[in-house]
Amino acid sequence: MNARVVIAEDAALFRAGLARLIEDHGHQVCAAVGDGGALLAAVAEHQPDVVVADIRMPPTHTDEGLRAALEIRRQHPRTGVLVLSQYIETKYTARLLEGNAAGAGYLLKERVADVADFADALERVAAGGTALDPEVVGQLLRASRRADGLAALTARERHVLALMAEGRSNAGIASALVVTGGTVEKHVASIFDKLGLPPDEADNRRVLAVLRYLGS
Amino acid sequence: MGLPLTTPTADPPGGQARVRSPWAVARAAVAAPFTRREGRELLFCLAGLPFLLVNPLALFVLAVDLSWLVAGNGRDNPSPADIAIACICVGLLLVLLVSTGAARKLGSLQRLLASRLLRIRVAPLPAARRSPGGRAWPGPGPRDAAGWRVMAYLLAKLPVGLIELYAVFFWIGGLVNLSYPLWWGAFRNHPPTARLSPVPVFTPFGWFGEGTFHVATLPGTFAAAAAGAAMLLAAPWVTRGVTSADAWLIKGLLGPGRLAQRVRDLELSRALAVDDSAALLRRLERNLHDGAQIRLATLAMNLGMAREKLGDGGEVPDAAAARELIDAALRGAKDTLVELRSLARGIHPPVLDNGLADALASLVADSAIPVELKASIPVRPTPAIETIAYFCAAELLANAAKHSFANKIAIRAAGQRDVLLLSVADDGTGGADPARGTGLSGLAQRVAVVDGGLTIASPPGGPTKITVELPLRA
Repeated sequence: MNARVVIAEDAALFRAGLARLIEDHGHQVCAAVGDGGALLAAVAEHQPDVVVADIRMPPTHTDEGLRAALEIRRQHPRTGVLVLSQYIETKYTARLLEGNAAGAGYLLKERVADVADFADALERVAAGGTALDPEVVGQLLRASRRADGLAALTARERHVLALMAEGRSNAGIASALVVTGGTVEKHVASIFDKLGLPPDEADNRRVLAVLRYLGS
Repeated sequence: MGLPLTTPTADPPGGQARVRSPWAVARAAVAAPFTRREGRELLFCLAGLPFLLVNPLALFVLAVDLSWLVAGNGRDNPSPADIAIACICVGLLLVLLVSTGAARKLGSLQRLLASRLLRIRVAPLPAARRSPGGRAWPGPGPRDAAGWRVMAYLLAKLPVGLIELYAVFFWIGGLVNLSYPLWWGAFRNHPPTARLSPVPVFTPFGWFGEGTFHVATLPGTFAAAAAGAAMLLAAPWVTRGVTSADAWLIKGLLGPGRLAQRVRDLELSRALAVDDSAALLRRLERNLHDGAQIRLATLAMNLGMAREKLGDGGEVPDAAAARELIDAALRGAKDTLVELRSLARGIHPPVLDNGLADALASLVADSAIPVELKASIPVRPTPAIETIAYFCAAELLANAAKHSFANKIAIRAAGQRDVLLLSVADDGTGGADPARGTGLSGLAQRVAVVDGGLTIASPPGGPTKITVELPLRA
């Protein structure tokens, strides 16, 4: 695929590297800006497929990136939003997804080092999918009050559950675990059965179901 | 505010005794009654009248008289029972005044008068601490020591206030005496044979002029006028004397006690220390977040991209791009190291472990302006003091380099008994002002945390000398 991307990041070196990485993977960087206001303007102008935004940007250096991302999700539902941060805050995840995991992502900045994985996540979000950082999923799993339900899963199934929560498709999970698609499907069916979740084909609704289960 | 920030004035009052000619002294004495300050002091004396009425002694007399009137219709002398009842009533009233905070209000009123009219600044009383166990009293409660000190002031105010009224009498009596010759002619146009009853003249020794000094003739009125002029000349000094005594009482009794003041200062400096360390941590996080962390993330990204360019084995698809990316990563790694080193040094310079003198020497070596350093610190201060002294020196040096246009800077660090004196002097343009910018007042705050002080001598045009005084132990 060839996605049109807008980048918002205040550190110039990182922004330049990000732009290069994205262009190297065959996408088009429409604009690369340094703060939330400029991001909103660039999105309105270019109507990109996906936005990559740093959470902490000037002028307040708190969460303007996230607020801009929420605004974009409200005003431009067809633009995917991939939020980057140096920290993982579970609260930010909840605010970003808020009942709709389609076209949303939240990754640690350092994930850009695994270039292929990062590009995969970007493409997923651009296509309306979900990309959650393994750290987010790990925190949710650790904090989940559904310990008894999770205890019923095998180690392999728990791994598959985590990958599902990150937003990966069955094919993505299969390639990550180096197994066949059929094996993954079996695992997924077993997980949904054990946790008492209604099976759902669409990946982003599946993510939401898993996250709701973990968060409730 | 208890910050030990002082700016020495060029000509301290009471410094060198200035030689004055007798003529100048006489002129000052004559002009004294007509200065604004005298007017304010006179007003202060008059304003004390209500405080004389709301006074424990006055209340006592009033209570005795009342009970005497009510009980015996005022026929007999007050009985011991009357006096006992009056004592109890007044005692209860005093407790009530203190415990409801009314005494504090009276005190703050008096403090306000003193600050407006006498221009003496007394810190307000520390807030009353509520007794544990809820609100038994509508105010601070009867154990409010500060309230009782106000009460003591009101007691002492009775004699002082009476003398203040006596001072007012000097002014009024003096003016009246002075006017005798003026109205003598208007009212004394009597037939020559009439016998005149003498008119009393006010003097400081006879309240209403009774029995001291009478005049019955026109030339006599000039004597009265002379007496009036003398009283007017004396009046400012009487007023000054008694208001000074009152001011002394106000400072001693209406301000916070020394212990309370100390507690306030400590509370203030503790708050500053807590804020300071919180701000320091925030700054540190920010520096790491915007510096080393993002540099390392960029570095990792460059290496990741380079890895991709190198391919999975055999032929390298894009060697030139890989080389370029690895170069960028290498640069990033070096920059990160430099940044981390300066950050670590900003937290705690390692050379400080060898002592303040060495640390100052290494600080001075980095300066763009020539610095002469003299350090003699026979007893080593505690690490906290050394750190504060080091960062003070660093900031003052940076200030001098940035703002003063100095050609030479001199740093002295001297340990004297239990005090460390650090001074940074430059030959620059001067005019350093703690009110402008946060640098100097921030330093003063940091120094205040350990009961130190900061003295700034920086007249416009220079030179500047800033001295930091720190205890050796904190």
